[in-house]
Amino acid sequence: MNFAYDFDWSVLWRDPYGVMLIKGLGMTIFLGISAWIIAMAVGIAVGTLRITKYRLLRMIGTAYVEVFRNIPLLVQMFFWFYAGPMLFGETLSRQINRLDGLAIYVSIIGLGLYTASRIAEHLRAGFASISKDQYHAVLSTGMTQVQMYRYVIIPYALRLTIPPLTTEFLTVFKNTSIVMTIGVAELTFQSYQIDAETFHGLEATTGAMFIYLLLGMTVVKFMDLVERKYKIQGLMGR
Amino acid sequence: MIEINKINKWYGDFHVLQDVDEVIEHGQTVVICGPSGSGKSTLLRCINGLEPFQKGEILVDKTSVKDPKTDLYKLREKIGMVFQRFELYPHMTAMENITLAPRKVRKWSKERAQDKAMELLKRVGMVDKADAYPANLSGGQQQRIAIARSLAMEPAYMMFDEPTSALDPEMIKEVLDVMVELAKAGMTMLCVTHEMGFAKEVADEIIFMDKGKIVERGTYDDFFNNPQTDRAKLFLSQILD
Repeated sequence: MNFAYDFDWSVLWRDPYGVMLIKGLGMTIFLGISAWIIAMAVGIAVGTLRITKYRLLRMIGTAYVEVFRNIPLLVQMFFWFYAGPMLFGETLSRQINRLDGLAIYVSIIGLGLYTASRIAEHLRAGFASISKDQYHAVLSTGMTQVQMYRYVIIPYALRLTIPPLTTEFLTVFKNTSIVMTIGVAELTFQSYQIDAETFHGLEATTGAMFIYLLLGMTVVKFMDLVERKYKIQGLMGR
Repeated sequence: MIEINKINKWYGDFHVLQDVDEVIEHGQTVVICGPSGSGKSTLLRCINGLEPFQKGEILVDKTSVKDPKTDLYKLREKIGMVFQRFELYPHMTAMENITLAPRKVRKWSKERAQDKAMELLKRVGMVDKADAYPANLSGGQQQRIAIARSLAMEPAYMMFDEPTSALDPEMIKEVLDVMVELAKAGMTMLCVTHEMGFAKEVADEIIFMDKGKIVERGTYDDFFNNPQTDRAKLFLSQILD
């Protein structure tokens, strides 16, 4: 094939571009894992709120899910970045805006809270597939509502939910690419940067693509191991 | 002693329990039978407060189940319950299923809870399955583990909700044997079951329910040989065929 274009794949490793890509990957992994930790914690809490017997708590859970899953992630990210600090009042917001790495914190929180709404929904499906008598069985031994969720229902539902959670975990890493719009130097940002400096965006983007692919495959492999370790004995296939 | 005093329960317009009265004395075994939808299971769930009821009163050792001041969690510690579909925790071994409540509710040490569990596993004949997961056990074995799980809290009462209905015929006996042994050891039991052999052997009283009401009650001989209502006669003719 002939192209009227001079390929220069060396932008993928040549100094300083190779280091930029690696730094970008590092940032992507850091953002993804940090956001995932927030997403799991908030997602489990919100998902549980949605099925408790207290109406007010259920309403709070539902409101959370509806707000966070119906607004595009990009818009949410802009909102947290530009308007988020103002939620803390004038003086505090000025300090927050001067914070080093503000965009990184915003990215982690924004991505985490968004993903939490999705985890909450998957978990709710898990809860719903557990029979009413299972809940009754736990309570009949004298355990409290909190103990019931903590020791039986949540661990059980999480195991039932591993396959959709794998998809979410994968999606968190892919969604980190959105935060380049608020200036976080993650992988996509770095590939654009290489393009700006070398005009070899094609190679840089292709490189980034393959790095994402490898990252994604690693995540799936990791979740496979998790699934194998935590699958419910005898109940699930394989 | 459990005193059930004219309780009424509605699901919307559906009157599930209508003026149900019953007293279960210490050490008694009471068998509840009747067609499906007659309110038997709902009655059990009212006794340990898993389901609310609108009218009447249930007292467990003089403690009102309905009183909002009653600590239902505390109350449930002394009423074990066994379910039709076992309801073991599928992500835990048999041992973990049995020791969970004693450790978390009673705050027993792991060793103490496990000693108690081993004693109960021996009692239900399942010592060799301590480390098995529920899905790797037969229905009868799962139900025996479920009974052990309830007994681990050292309850004063045991309620059984059709404990053998989901079992293969061959496994029914192994579960009934455990229940008979329990009854003979003096446990106060309330059993929803259609196993008339079991009723004959250990029941002090049989209650027959239909459409939310107790329509007949008496000893096994009364009920079996001399049913008073047509509904009970029809029911007996069907389950005995």
